[in-house]
Amino acid sequence: MSVSVEAAPRGAALGWHAPPAVVVKVAAVLVAVALLVVITAADAGAGLFFAFGLGFGVILQRSRLCFASAFRDLFLLRDGRTMRAILVGIGLATLGFALLMSRSVPDPTAGALPNQAHVIPVGWYVVVGGLSFGVGMVVAGGCVSGTLYRIGEGYVASLVTLAGILIGLELAAHTWNWWWQAEISSAPVVWLPGFLGYAGAVALTVALLAGAYVLTLWRESGRGPRIPLRQKAELEPASVRGQVGRLYRRWFVTGWPIATGAIALAVLNVFAFTADHPLGVTGELGTWAEHLASLGGLGAGVLQGVDKLAGCNLAAGNGSTWLTSNFTLDAGLVFGAFVAAVLASEFKLRFPRQHVRYGQSVAGGVLMGYGAGLAAGCTIGAFFSAIPSLGLNGWLFGLSLLLGAAGGVQIIKRIP
Amino acid sequence: MARVLDVRGEICPYPMMKAVEQLKQLKGDESLEVLTDHAPALSTIPWEAAKLGYATTIEVNGRAEWRLGLTRDASASRDPSAVLERLSERLEQLGVAE
Repeated sequence: MSVSVEAAPRGAALGWHAPPAVVVKVAAVLVAVALLVVITAADAGAGLFFAFGLGFGVILQRSRLCFASAFRDLFLLRDGRTMRAILVGIGLATLGFALLMSRSVPDPTAGALPNQAHVIPVGWYVVVGGLSFGVGMVVAGGCVSGTLYRIGEGYVASLVTLAGILIGLELAAHTWNWWWQAEISSAPVVWLPGFLGYAGAVALTVALLAGAYVLTLWRESGRGPRIPLRQKAELEPASVRGQVGRLYRRWFVTGWPIATGAIALAVLNVFAFTADHPLGVTGELGTWAEHLASLGGLGAGVLQGVDKLAGCNLAAGNGSTWLTSNFTLDAGLVFGAFVAAVLASEFKLRFPRQHVRYGQSVAGGVLMGYGAGLAAGCTIGAFFSAIPSLGLNGWLFGLSLLLGAAGGVQIIKRIP
Repeated sequence: MARVLDVRGEICPYPMMKAVEQLKQLKGDESLEVLTDHAPALSTIPWEAAKLGYATTIEVNGRAEWRLGLTRDASASRDPSAVLERLSERLEQLGVAE
């Protein structure tokens, strides 16, 4: 931070804009399309998830949907706008997921779990993972998906956070067998439809989400004024050209309302589950962490029972090739955010001026990585995809994130 | 003369926290200018500023960079909704959603 008493030069404040770099924008879109074509030709499934990743990145960049701020701002600002949008998105995804799961497992009480649903045993490891992740995302200033989309926008500190996340994931891998033997292997799986049927499980989940929504409103009350959401009272242009221009500006230049982002992400999640598996970003990173550590002889080796955990477990990215759907989703996320930022003229390399921020990025990243490695996922895989999978683990992780974020706020308040 | 707070390179929640810290130290009719390149700060700073009785103007200051002018405005504390309404209009002009 630099504070000076003299006024800054006024010349730059006149709103001068560089001419729109149309060439750069067109090139960014063309490269995205070309990558999509090439990846799809190599592996159709990986190509599809690259497309989902691009959508994921565009949604996060345009709406600035940040799960870290959703939890953090409940405590820091008594602001629940983002959290309420996310709760609505989870509710929407719950309906879609339930429909899909009822197709693959018609009788939920028979004991079988739907393939790929993010349902894992319930235990202290989920709580520890959520707490660690919650503290980490607040300290680092973004969760894992937030870190990936900010890399696409040009935030250099987010690259440092990513390195921290990889370290944390590898630390989780090194302690995995202990956790597996101590708890996870014998912990109960609680899949709500197994007890309540689909209708009962959906009703309970929606009721809990509604309760969380009201609690968020309660938290926001008495917090002071809010910026009103404005309805645009603009005349619709008559020409097709004018209409197309208006739509382009609305979707690619103007930021989206946060609720639009959360709903779009929920729809994308249902598409992803329909295609194969729900969204999740850390499974691939865990595999990368292990590969990198093995190069230095620091690999964790065999992880017991890890593949029994659905979702973003530490081996989720494993395959004979690196061109997996998990990898292309993450790569698409970064590239989609990059393209969206370029289209909106918002891409810029940003370096934090205070060195302590790099420390926060590493430390927050390590805490997030450890939490995500332990609890098989991040705010996306273990929360945004887990609650709609109707597993109790999603709720437990979410509550732990909330407590962790509250602790993280106390930490950042003490870092200047 | 306005104090200048340069929080370029900082991400949430620091631009907002530092702006609030500075606003609380201002004396009399002193105003504050905040430089940021973090778009989310455009909705958090004015909001917190309004609570403290400051109105906000936003100017584009080059590529993905904005200059916020925070000035004491009696009406901000009396009728924050009017101040925020004007601001919301401005954010829309600039193509930055709430």
